[in-house]
Amino acid sequence: MKGQNNGFKIGSIVVFLGLTLWYLFPTIQNNLEQRHMADMTESERIQYESENLEKLNRLQENSLSLGLDLQGGMYVTLEIGTPQLVLELAGDFADDNLEEVISVSEDRALEENTDFIDEFVEEFETRDPDALLSRYFRSDSEEITRRSSNEEITEYLKNQRDEAVTRAMEIIRSRIDRFGVTEPSILQQGNNRIVVELPGVDDEERVRGLLRGTARLEFRMVAEPDEVNAAKQQVVEYFQENEDELEEEGQENLLDVFDPNGRNEYVFGYAAGPDTSVVNTLLNDEDVQRLIPRNTTLMWGAEPFATDEGVDLFEIIAVRSQIEMTGDVIDEARVSFEPTTNAAEVSMTMDSEGARRWARITGANIGRPVAIALDGFVVSYPTVQNAINNGRSSITGLGGVQEAEDLVNILLSGALPAPLEIVEERTVGASLGEDSIQAGLYSILFGLTVVAIFMIVYYRTGGVIANIALILNIIFILGILAAFKATLTLPGVAGIVLTIGMAVDANVLIFDRIREEMRGGKTLRAAIDNGYSNAMSAIIDANVTTFFVAVILYSFGVGPIKGFAVTLMAGIVASLFSAIVITRVIIDYLTRDKTATVNFG
Amino acid sequence: MKWFETPSFDFIRGQKIAYLFSGTMVVVSIVAIFGLGLNYGIDFRGGKEFVFEFDQPVDVAELRTELTEPLGTGIAPEIKLFGSESEILLRTDAEGEIDAVRETIMSTFSQLYPDASVSVEKTDLVGPRFAEDLRRGALYSIIFALAVVFIYIFIRFKGWYFSAGAIAALAHDVLVVLGIFTIMAEFAPFDVSINQAIIAAFLTIVGYSLNDTVVVFDRIRENSIIYKTMAFKDMVNKSLNDTLSRTVITSVTTLFVVIVLFILGGEVLKGFAFALVLGIILGTYSSLFIASALVVELQNRAMNAKAKS
Repeated sequence: MKGQNNGFKIGSIVVFLGLTLWYLFPTIQNNLEQRHMADMTESERIQYESENLEKLNRLQENSLSLGLDLQGGMYVTLEIGTPQLVLELAGDFADDNLEEVISVSEDRALEENTDFIDEFVEEFETRDPDALLSRYFRSDSEEITRRSSNEEITEYLKNQRDEAVTRAMEIIRSRIDRFGVTEPSILQQGNNRIVVELPGVDDEERVRGLLRGTARLEFRMVAEPDEVNAAKQQVVEYFQENEDELEEEGQENLLDVFDPNGRNEYVFGYAAGPDTSVVNTLLNDEDVQRLIPRNTTLMWGAEPFATDEGVDLFEIIAVRSQIEMTGDVIDEARVSFEPTTNAAEVSMTMDSEGARRWARITGANIGRPVAIALDGFVVSYPTVQNAINNGRSSITGLGGVQEAEDLVNILLSGALPAPLEIVEERTVGASLGEDSIQAGLYSILFGLTVVAIFMIVYYRTGGVIANIALILNIIFILGILAAFKATLTLPGVAGIVLTIGMAVDANVLIFDRIREEMRGGKTLRAAIDNGYSNAMSAIIDANVTTFFVAVILYSFGVGPIKGFAVTLMAGIVASLFSAIVITRVIIDYLTRDKTATVNFG
Repeated sequence: MKWFETPSFDFIRGQKIAYLFSGTMVVVSIVAIFGLGLNYGIDFRGGKEFVFEFDQPVDVAELRTELTEPLGTGIAPEIKLFGSESEILLRTDAEGEIDAVRETIMSTFSQLYPDASVSVEKTDLVGPRFAEDLRRGALYSIIFALAVVFIYIFIRFKGWYFSAGAIAALAHDVLVVLGIFTIMAEFAPFDVSINQAIIAAFLTIVGYSLNDTVVVFDRIRENSIIYKTMAFKDMVNKSLNDTLSRTVITSVTTLFVVIVLFILGGEVLKGFAFALVLGIILGTYSSLFIASALVVELQNRAMNAKAKS
C-alpha cells in the first residue's frame, strides 16, 4: 500500500520536474545564445542573427520574459476620449444641449466612477424624459432611425466605443511595428483603456508622439492680408488703450510678449516659445476675439521660424476657419528630400476624389497661399503656383528625417477614431533595470543561504531535506511562471525572496510535529506518519487563506504588482508540493530500514 | 537545537499589557494618519516623478529651493536621495507635458552643476484621475481581502469570534504599519510613501499574519477535541504554547529574508521591504498576543450572554 502511494508521489515529482525543465529550457538556451552572440563582432552577429532568425525568435518568445522594471523600457496607459467620440458620432446633429449633457455627464462619471455612456443617457433622459437620442445619432448605415429607442442608442454607443478601442489598438500596433520594437505588448484594460508595454525603448518623446499622434491634416486657405492687417491694428489698439487697466488688475499686456510684425503679410505676429501660452490666453479673451473676423482663425506655426539669442520664435498665421480638405484623402505618403536644401519632407498622394478636389482648390487660388495644418499647427503655407491635377502635395518645414518618418507612419496607419490621453506612463532606464536584477539576484542567493544554514543547524538531517525541497521549489516557481507566460518583475523577485522564507513554514510545521510526537514516545516511523497527517490541516488552512489574498491582489493590482501576485501564487503551489510531497519521499527513503534513524534536531 | 520545546507561558494573562500596548499604537497611528495625512506616493496622488543620476554628489536642500520657482507649483518639489549621494528621486505636481517639465528640471541642474552629467533613470507619470482609480482599487482590495478572510475562517473554524479575532489582529497590523510609515514620512532616509507596492506589502502582511493566526486556531480546534473538559482559556493558552516553536522559527526565517531584501534588494524595493519587516514583527506579535486573546474574550462574552438569556 505504502509502496504504491510513494510510487505515485515519485511519479508526480518526475512529471512536475520534467515539465518545469521543459518550460525553462528555452530560457536557458536563449541565455546561452545571447551570451554566445555577445562575444561576436558586429558583422558576425548580424549574419548569425539572420541565419538563425526563426530559432532565435522562437527562443525569445518561449523564454521567461523580464518585466519592464527589470529590462528597461516604457509602460503607457492610454485612455480613449469617450465624450469626444460621442460628440463626433453626433457629427452635424450636435447642438448646445448635447454638448452640455456631455460635459455634465463627463464630470459625474469621473466623480462617481461610473460608465460615461450610462451617465450620458441618464442625464439626457432626466432633462427631457420624452426626448429621443436618435435625433443625434441617426445613421442609415447603422440602421438607426428616428424611432430607435434610447436603449438601442445606448447599445450602439457602447459598441462604437468598443470598436474605437479595437481600432485604436490596431492603429497603435501598426505604428509600433513600423517604429520597430521587439516584443511589444498592447492590451485592453477596462472598457476604455489601452496598456502599451515597450521593452527597451528609451526615446520616450518620440514614442509618445507616435502613440497619441492623431495626425489631423487640414488644408485651409490663408486669410486676406488686408483683413489680417485691419484686425491686427485693432488688437494692438485695444491693448494700448487698456494698458493702465490691465496693469492695475495685474494682468499681462499682449504687447509685452507679442510682436505684431511678421516676415510676410500673412503673419499675424510672433512670440517667443515660452510666452506662447500667455499669448494664447490673452488672444482668447472674449473682447479680443470680437476684433478678429469670424471667418478667420489664428494658428501657430509648428516649427520656430527664427531664434533670438537662443530663444525660439514662433509666428501666428491667420487662416480661414473653413477646412477645405482633410487628411482622409491621403492614399500614400513617403519621406522625400527637397532637392536644393536636402531637407526631409513628406510627399503625399491623394485618392481620386481627393485629387479632383485638390485640383479645383488649387486652380481657383493661383497666386495665393494654402496652409497645411497638422494637429492644429501650421506646418507650411506654400503659394499655389498653378493648378495641381495629379493629387500630389507635400509637407515641408519638418524638424528632420526622424520627424518625417514618424509623420509618414502616423499618416499611413490612419487616424485614431478618438483622441487618446496618456493617463499613466512609466519609464525605466536599462541601467536601473540591470541594478535591480543584480540586487534581486543577490537577495535571492543571500536569503537562500541564510535560511538554508539556519534550517540545517536547527533541524539537522530534516533541515537538509527541507533545503532540497526549497531549492526545487524555486526552480518550480520559475517553471510555473514560464509555463503561464508570466513576466518576472522586480516585485516578482521580491515575491520569490519572500517565498524562500515562508516556504520552509510547512516543513517547520511538520518537523515540529514529528519532534512533538517523538517526545510523546512514538517510534520514528509513527512519529513521521503522525507528524505529516496532523500538520496537514494547519498547512492547508494557512495556505488557502494566503492564496485567496494573492488572488485578490492579482485581480486588483496592475503592472508589476500583478507580477508579485503571480509569483506569490506560484510560490504557494510549489512550496506545498515540495514541502509535503518531496520531503516525504526523501524521508520515507531514508527510513526504509526499520533501524534507520533520521535526525530532526 | 531546540527552542521552546515545552514552553508554558501565560499568553492570555499578558493580554492586559498587550491590549494597552497595541491600543496605544493603534491610537497613535490613527491620530498620525488623520493628523498628518497619508503620505501618498505618485501612484495614488498623481503627478510626475523622476530618478536622476549625477556623476557627483548633489545637495538636496539646494535643489529643492532652486527648483521651486522654475516648476511653478508654488511649493518645493519633493526630493530624496535615492540610494547614493549622487542619485535623487524627485516628485512634482508641475503642470505641462512631461518632457517640458523634465527639460525645466534639467536646465536648472545644468545651472547649479555646470560640469555634471545627469541621466534620467526612471520616469513616472500618473494622471490625477488614474491615481484615483488606483486608490480606489487599493482600498477595495484590502477590504475585500479582509472580508474573504473573515468568511473563510468563519466556515473553517465554525465561530464568528475566531473570524473577529483574526480580523482585529490583521487590522491592527496594517494600521500600525501605516501609522509608522506616516510618522516616518518626514525623516526616513528612503522613500516611505504609500504606493501600489506598499499595498502589495500590506496584503502580504495580511497573508503572513493570518498564517500564524490560523496555525494557532488549528491547534485550538484540535485541542478542543482532545481536552474536552479544559477551560477554553487554558486550552487557547496551551495551543499558543504548543505552536510557539513553529511560530518563532517561521518568523525568524521570514524575517531573515525580508531583512536581506531590505539591505540588498535595491533602492526601488526599500519601502516595500521595510513594510514587510514591520509587518512580520507585528504579525507575529499580534498572532501571539491579540488574535487568540480576543477569541477568548469574545467567546467568554458570548457564553455569558447565552447564560443570562
